[in-house]
Amino acid sequence: MTKNNYLKEIAKSQKPFIIYKSNKGFDLYTDFSKKIILSNKNIKNFINNSTKKKTKNKETDLYIGFFGYEILNNLIDVKIKKQKGLKFPKGIFYKPETKKKLSNKLNYKSSENLKSKSTFNVNLNKASYKSIFNKFKKKIKSGETYQIKICTKYRNNSKIDALDFFCRLTKSNMAPEAFMINDKNYSIISCSPENLITKNRNFISTKPIAGTLKKSKKLNKSKALSFFKKNIKETKEHNMIVDMERSDLSKICEAGSVRIIKKKIVEEYKDLYHYVSLIAGKLRKNTSSLEIIKAMMPGGSVIGCPKISTLNLLNNQERENRNIYTGSFGYLKFNGDMRFNIIIRSILNYQNQSEISVASGAVIDSNASHEFNENYIKAKALIDLYR
Amino acid sequence: MIYIIDHNDSFTHNVVHQFSRFGKVECDNFNDINETKLKKSKVLVLSPGPGAPKDYPLISRIYKKYKGEKKIIGICLGFQQILYCEKGKIIEQNKIYHGFQSKIKVTNKSLLFKKGQKFTVGRYHSLKLKEPFFAKNFEITMRCAISNVAMALENNNEKIYGFQFHPESFLTENGNLLIKKILSA
Repeated sequence: MTKNNYLKEIAKSQKPFIIYKSNKGFDLYTDFSKKIILSNKNIKNFINNSTKKKTKNKETDLYIGFFGYEILNNLIDVKIKKQKGLKFPKGIFYKPETKKKLSNKLNYKSSENLKSKSTFNVNLNKASYKSIFNKFKKKIKSGETYQIKICTKYRNNSKIDALDFFCRLTKSNMAPEAFMINDKNYSIISCSPENLITKNRNFISTKPIAGTLKKSKKLNKSKALSFFKKNIKETKEHNMIVDMERSDLSKICEAGSVRIIKKKIVEEYKDLYHYVSLIAGKLRKNTSSLEIIKAMMPGGSVIGCPKISTLNLLNNQERENRNIYTGSFGYLKFNGDMRFNIIIRSILNYQNQSEISVASGAVIDSNASHEFNENYIKAKALIDLYR
Repeated sequence: MIYIIDHNDSFTHNVVHQFSRFGKVECDNFNDINETKLKKSKVLVLSPGPGAPKDYPLISRIYKKYKGEKKIIGICLGFQQILYCEKGKIIEQNKIYHGFQSKIKVTNKSLLFKKGQKFTVGRYHSLKLKEPFFAKNFEITMRCAISNVAMALENNNEKIYGFQFHPESFLTENGNLLIKKILSA
C-alpha cells in the first residue's frame, strides 16, 4: 500500500486521476496517455477495439471511465428528445499508465476552504413530483410499466475539491463501488453501492440492490432481513429486479447457466442495510464486449421494468439531461474482462456547478410524498458534504 | 423449432432459456419477425410484455393465421393476446400483481393437470380476463386460489395453451414441469 501522503502529492501535481474501490482498499489510476471522449458515432468502435488489443496483462492494460445515461440509451436504440442541461460529455475513458494501491483509510484535507454557501435547488417541487407520480401510476394500471423510477436533481453553484469531498464521503459511507474522477474541467464523486457487471473470462455476474434501510441502534441485521421479508412492497420490487437481471444475463449467457447465487440477502454497510441478490451466468462463446454492455446497460434496477417501455416513458417525461446519473463507471481490460457499477449517489461538478441526482420507485402501492422525501434523504448524504 | 416472439419485455430471455431445455429455440422482436422462421416453427410462443393485446395488431393477425396449424403458447401478455383474439375482454384489475408470489389451483376443466392441484407462481400483470368468457374448445384451467382470476387456458383440440403467471420466474415453483407438460401435450 502506498502511503497516504501520496494523495497530497497527486493533488498538488494537478494531474488528472481516478480512484476506484477495490477489494481491500482503493486503486488509484493516473498518468493518462489517452483520453477518449465518447459520442454516438465512436462508442461502438471504442468498446470493440479496446478489448481486442494485444496485452501482456499489465495492470494498466485497460480503459477506465464512464458511460452517461444518454449514450447508453442510444446504444440500445432508445431515443431521447432534446433536453436541457449542462453540455457535459456523454462518456469519457482514459488509458492509465500508473496504478497505485491505497488503503481503505483515505486521508486528505483541502488546504483551501472551498465549502460553498450556495444552497441547493431542486428541479421538481413536491407538487410537480406528485403529478408525474400519478401519471406514471396510471401507466402501471394500464400495464405499460410495472415499476418506474422518478429522478429529481439538486443543484448549486460551487467549486469543489473533489479529493477532499471523496475522502470525507468514504468515511461516512464506505461503498463497494465508490469512485472519483478528477480531471481539469470536471470531477465526479460517487458512493455507489451497486455492481452491474463483473466479468472474468466467461464468468459474468450482476448484483442488484432493491431495498435500503438506514441503520439504527434498534435495528440489527436479522431484524433488517425480517423487515424486508415482511414488507410486501420492497419484496415485490426486489423480485421484479431479480427476474429482469436474470433475463438480461440470459441474452448473453449459455442456456441454463444463469443462476441466483445469493437470493435476497441483507448486506451491512456503515450506515445502511441493503437488500441484495447476486446473479451469475456463463457467457456464450464469442460474446463481444459490445453485446455484454448492450444487454446489461443502462442497469435495470435504477430504471424500472420492463426496461425499454419504461425508458421510453421516462425519456418522454424528463426535460433535463441525466448526464452521468444511472450511467455506468468502470473499466474494460484489454483481455476482455470488465467491471462496471451503476452511477448513483454521485456528484457531478462541471463549470462551477454541482449536480446531485436521485430517484425512487413508483410501484402500484407506493406513496408520492413518501418517495419524494426518500429522494431528499438520498441526496442529503451528499449535500451534507458542502457544509 | 420453437419460435418465441418478444414484445420488448424484460423477462423474455428467461422464457427463452426455459424453453431451450426442451428444444431448439429462436427468438425475435415483434417488430422484426422473420417469416421463414415463423413458417418453419412447430411451436409459437407469445412472450410477456408491456401494454395490452390491442397494442399489437400484428400479433393478432399471426395468431389467427396459425391457429390450429401450430401449437401456440402465450405467457402473461401472450395469454391475454390469445383470449383477446378469441373475443375475450382484457380489463384493468383493482388489485395489481407485480413481482407477487401467489397460489393458484387447477380447475376441473384441465386435461393436463390434476384437478385441485396447487402451484406457487410469480405474477406480473396489471390486466386480467373479464368473465364470463366462452370460446369454442377453450377452457380456463387454472385460477388464483384467492381471487379466482383466470390463470391458465387449454385448448387441447387446436393445441393452444397459456399462462397469466410467469412459469419462467424464479418465483414459480415447478415452472419447468408446466412447460414440459404443455410441450408434450
